[in-house]
Amino acid sequence: MSDITVFAARKIITMDPNQPEATHVAVRDGYILAVGDAECANPWGGGTLNNELADKVLMPGFVEGHAHMMAGAIWDYTYVGYHDRTDPEGQHWSGLDTLDAVVERLTEADSKLPKGKPLVGWGLDPIFLSDERLSRRHLDAVSADRPIMVMFSNFHLLCANSAALDLVGYGAHTNVEGVVMGADGEPTGELQEMAAMFPVMRRLGVDFRALSLREDAVRSYAKVCQRVGVTTATDLFSTIEESDIGLLHRITADRDFPLRLVPALGTTEAPEANAAKALALREQSTEKLRLGAIKLMTDGSIQGWTARVRWPGYIGGQPNGIWNTAPDMIHALCLEMQRAGLPMHIHVNGDEASEVVMDALAEAKAAHPRPGLRHVLQHAQMMDAPQFARARELDLCVNLFANHIWYFGDQHVAQTIGPDRAASMDGCRAALDAGVNLAIHSDAPVTPMGPLFTAWCAVNRQTMSGQTLGAAQRLSVQEALYAITLGAAFTLGMDHEIGSIETRKRADFAVLGADPTQTTPETLCDIPVHGTVLGGTVHLL
Amino acid sequence: MRLPLTVIGGYLGAGKTTVLNRLLSEAHGQRLMIMVNDFGAVNIDAALLESRTDDTIALTNGCVCCTMGADLFMAIGDILDRPARPDHLLIEASGIGDPAAIANAALTEPELAYGGIATVIDGLTWDTLSQDAKIGAQIRGQAEAAQLLLISKSATTPAFLPDRTTQNLATQVPLAPLLLDQRPVSTPSRKTIPHPAYTNWSGCPARSMTAPDLRAALNTRPDSLFRLKGWVDAPSGKSWEVHCVGSQTDIKPAKRTKAHLIGIGLAEQSDPSVWQSWLTASLC
Ligand SMILES: [Zn+2]
Ligand SMILES: [Zn+2]
Repeated sequence: MSDITVFAARKIITMDPNQPEATHVAVRDGYILAVGDAECANPWGGGTLNNELADKVLMPGFVEGHAHMMAGAIWDYTYVGYHDRTDPEGQHWSGLDTLDAVVERLTEADSKLPKGKPLVGWGLDPIFLSDERLSRRHLDAVSADRPIMVMFSNFHLLCANSAALDLVGYGAHTNVEGVVMGADGEPTGELQEMAAMFPVMRRLGVDFRALSLREDAVRSYAKVCQRVGVTTATDLFSTIEESDIGLLHRITADRDFPLRLVPALGTTEAPEANAAKALALREQSTEKLRLGAIKLMTDGSIQGWTARVRWPGYIGGQPNGIWNTAPDMIHALCLEMQRAGLPMHIHVNGDEASEVVMDALAEAKAAHPRPGLRHVLQHAQMMDAPQFARARELDLCVNLFANHIWYFGDQHVAQTIGPDRAASMDGCRAALDAGVNLAIHSDAPVTPMGPLFTAWCAVNRQTMSGQTLGAAQRLSVQEALYAITLGAAFTLGMDHEIGSIETRKRADFAVLGADPTQTTPETLCDIPVHGTVLGGTVHLL
Repeated sequence: MRLPLTVIGGYLGAGKTTVLNRLLSEAHGQRLMIMVNDFGAVNIDAALLESRTDDTIALTNGCVCCTMGADLFMAIGDILDRPARPDHLLIEASGIGDPAAIANAALTEPELAYGGIATVIDGLTWDTLSQDAKIGAQIRGQAEAAQLLLISKSATTPAFLPDRTTQNLATQVPLAPLLLDQRPVSTPSRKTIPHPAYTNWSGCPARSMTAPDLRAALNTRPDSLFRLKGWVDAPSGKSWEVHCVGSQTDIKPAKRTKAHLIGIGLAEQSDPSVWQSWLTASLC
């Protein structure tokens, strides 16, 4: 009779308060038909038992509410960063803590590369390397004739070897901001900001545009997601055009493609034109491609001192940060998107940025009331209790950057905003206490995608130096698991479809090797992920 | 041949697009390419574009957390890779952007030449906006980065402006001599037509110089000499190609070319004999 599959599991954590745990889930036509024990499909005439996942723990497929598609294709380049990472193919790359190790890894990559092809590294973060700064001398030791560049983790700097510098003609006569000169009067190889970096990138064929919206980039992004149990992920600030839709439809329709992709269109044009484009894109949505959301940038980053912060500013006395979109334009865009009924994901790092955006949204919502239209403050790292209260009043969601606590927490204490404000950063507890819908994210490739790690950060708030930063803002494991499933689904307006394992929802699961509710909170991030199930199709690693 | 790049900066609504449209309608004989990196890219006069230039490229405002405006630079690369380059590239910077972050590419990229930064100043709102607590510092930065300030919407010059060459857009003088590369040095076939508002000059540097010496000599040039371009002999038997705009100096190595310089300044401030004496003292 019917095509009902009954998946057996060691345990199913449903995130549905009516039935928090189960052992079986019945699936028909890609949707969850019933949840319970081995008999759960019996009222429907029973189904075919599938024991493939019988020794695994199932959770709702994780939802990454803030990441970027280039997290996949960036792995075309050789990783030389400080932290351990795993590439889309599952290969583990150990973190490198000395320049010698960086040179060694690049030398190995050099030996495997065909002659004449440039060598590109990525992910270097000098903050974590205590010895000297990477220079062209180190890279010349890798190769004297192959052009080499290493992109730093913040994407604002790179280092090139002599062969690459020679392609451009940088030399002692060069006298330009951004081309760092050494004591010997020659360029050190370090190039700062795009104007100085671009002549080298151009000659080495490094084009960031190729890291998104190309077939291999889309597919490798999906692999990144599958490895960490993510079944729905955003691409936040997409430059998607009508002409990209065919490709995305074809790829996402593929049964083997293990992801619901949610690109949010970057605001790049006049507000009306932008809204019209997003509305047209929305019509092109499918089961696995969700279009129509908007991404709006406002300020920069806290660790780059470019976030717009309120008094008393940065502890080092650095000038306040920069707006990437003028406050006037933020108002105009919020007004137009609210009028058009388009959900917005709004990047706000500093607390002045979150304030300006809430002013703009208050105005927009007064002009065009649309109950149920969800806007999300993304990162929102410096929001305090009064700002969360206001977010609640305005019916806004927040998606906090929990991974920041681990990766940059120590720096925020020592260098950016000081211990007191750092302790309240990414205030997950304050958000929940104010009654705001909460998601937490990785911003991959800025930090690696991994919702269980992100949840671990929100639960433990441990920094790289081992300190607990802001114990008062910690979440319980249950709350953190909610934030990476239903909480994140809510921010995408998809909580009626995904985020929990209950009847009527899509059969999207994360396949885990252990039970996150039974492990100690300190080991939440160590739980193995074996793959996903998407719409009832099993995608094991 | 190097492609000269000029960046038009200025806050939202200051009149950047007006400047570009006006430039497109002037009889300078150059094929312009315009890239728009701002909200509201739609206002370039299409009729002017069809008749005068190859095309306009609208870009993202380019502020993704991680790609930080790379698209703009990649698009510049695309233009350089075209088989037929335009005569001059103009980029309308974002209303909030730092025009120097773009213009610096003309100093680093060997295939580009520095064409300068012109920032459009709304004469009516500048004195308020530039002091605004939220946006003032960023807006002031746009004026400070510029070599040329173009005042729009008011005949009077605002109080809080840095000391730069200034032109009020209410005067109907051509803008091309200030914004575009001078002819005839690189293309003798298309000569710049003199205009009474501007003083043109040319001279011949007689010495061969190292890059640091040449830079030091150029740094002493009279302020009134707004644009200066040409070739100076290098010790290697090659030449230096020089593009100066305001206080900014672009020196790049070039193959051997007969040493000569051409310059232009605002007529009311210019005295070619001063320019000639500077040349004689510093480069001869
Ligand atoms: Zn991001
Ligand atoms: Zn962001």
